[in-house]
Amino acid sequence: MSRFTRRDFLRIAGAASTASIWTSPADAADKKTAAKKSAQVVVIGGGFAGATCAKYLKAADPSITVTLIEPEKKYVTGPLSNHVVAGVRKIENISIGYDGLRKRGVQVLHDWATAIDPGKRRVALKSGKSLAYDKLVVAPGIELKWGAIKHYTDVAAVAMPHAWKAGSQTLRLRDQLAKMRNGGTFIITAPQNPYRCPPGPYERASLVAHYFKRNKPKSKILILDAKDAFSKQALFLDAWKQLYGNMIEWIPSSKGGIVTAVNTSRMQLDTETGVKYRGDVINIVPPQTAGSIARMARLTDDKGWCPVNPLTFESKKFKNIFVIGDSAVAGALPKSAFAANSEAKIAANAIVAELQGQAPAEASYINTCYSLVAPDYGISIAGVYRVTAEGISEIPGAGGESPKDADAHFRADEAKYALGWYASIVADIWS
Amino acid sequence: MKPGAFRFVVVALIIAASACQTTPPPSDPSTPTVTPTAPDTKPAATSPVVKTVEPIKPITPEMARNLANNCFTCHGPAGKSPGAIPSLTRFNASDMAVRLKRFKNGEDASTIMGRHTRGYTDTELEAIAIYIAGLKK
Repeated sequence: MSRFTRRDFLRIAGAASTASIWTSPADAADKKTAAKKSAQVVVIGGGFAGATCAKYLKAADPSITVTLIEPEKKYVTGPLSNHVVAGVRKIENISIGYDGLRKRGVQVLHDWATAIDPGKRRVALKSGKSLAYDKLVVAPGIELKWGAIKHYTDVAAVAMPHAWKAGSQTLRLRDQLAKMRNGGTFIITAPQNPYRCPPGPYERASLVAHYFKRNKPKSKILILDAKDAFSKQALFLDAWKQLYGNMIEWIPSSKGGIVTAVNTSRMQLDTETGVKYRGDVINIVPPQTAGSIARMARLTDDKGWCPVNPLTFESKKFKNIFVIGDSAVAGALPKSAFAANSEAKIAANAIVAELQGQAPAEASYINTCYSLVAPDYGISIAGVYRVTAEGISEIPGAGGESPKDADAHFRADEAKYALGWYASIVADIWS
Repeated sequence: MKPGAFRFVVVALIIAASACQTTPPPSDPSTPTVTPTAPDTKPAATSPVVKTVEPIKPITPEMARNLANNCFTCHGPAGKSPGAIPSLTRFNASDMAVRLKRFKNGEDASTIMGRHTRGYTDTELEAIAIYIAGLKK
């Protein structure tokens, strides 16, 4: 029993059939030549948020000139980078170029945004160029807070990698683990919320345990946590016991998990309680803030993140600037690749509506974070979000974690879907 | 989509089964569901006012798009999945709506679709199904 009349049905279906994300670029080019003076949208950052926004802007209105500023020619994804750390996937398989977006009509500039002038609506680039915009999308991801843990600087990150921005740091950590002796100790630290990829440190510990179990079974893993609770905690703790026995030990903040200083020459960590931990390989996941351009442009609040209108992701600091992805304060949404993708689509449609003199449609966000505890053991957390008086809020009764009592088939299915999700989101964004 | 394509299709969907509301329609001209240019749409204000739990929630095509775009993160662009997650391209709107509601009610087992579909009204699930089934294959 559908509550839609035939006419309602045709309207929504009709809207879908004219959505040009599914038409050829040639069609789009035809429309472009017929269009009036084209609106200029500049997107800073070609990660999950920025690249999604660029593609969906172009899809929603091919007449818009969309320019994407991204320093790297290949983007290395945070998702699946723990697989690279654990040696079960090559970094080439999580590195993505921008030809797909170029084919969609997005102009991609491999450059670095150095300044934003919200009054004149211009972005300055490292190359010396400057770009005018009607709307600006800022999606620079995270910056690591060097020094928040004493002596943890970019120099210290050579000895003790963070591997929290995927790329050379990912390989550094992988290589250190590969060289570690059997019977050694791997320490990973986890920061206080909010930070990029809430279940990430625990997935990383899991996949390193998988690697150790097969290659260095006498080794230990220590998680020093600045928190007393973490995402999918019960599922992780259960699975660790089941798959890895006592290999992984989690030390929450209340039991002395807060790391205050690093000593790279001794490969040692100081904690708040005075206890010192030595590790053979140490992975520091430090506290984070919004990407540097967001801070330089004063888009951030006193906590270092960018407050936005929850319906559109327009900055609360400056008009015509939209901040999406990890840099944004997105209410109940986590700092995940999935959430970044969801935010970017809403922002893209809101920008197009504004440029066309329309009001934005109601926003709806979702998130799913899969974590692999082993290559054939997946768990997930999901949420559906709407905008309420409190901002972006999770809909009660929906979402939640994988069932605690699920069988091996269920875990294997979710492991399969974790990889399926990766293939799909990458195609949704970069192809 | 074509520039302004939605202008021709934008309309507040008055859903017959829930066509009653306790509050007057918003007067804010920026509210997306108010579409004075759609001549064939019965304004919500003229619907009979009776007591009801949920106020009417018209679904515009733009909102259907906002809802449906989230599906592609897992099911691939336009619902065409390159990996292990099933594609949506084999469904017509009616079959997809039935399936989504079965997930929501727990009649069909799933790893995650039950958790997602519980976040939407049946009307929203129908709008999602209509939008996705209407996409060019």
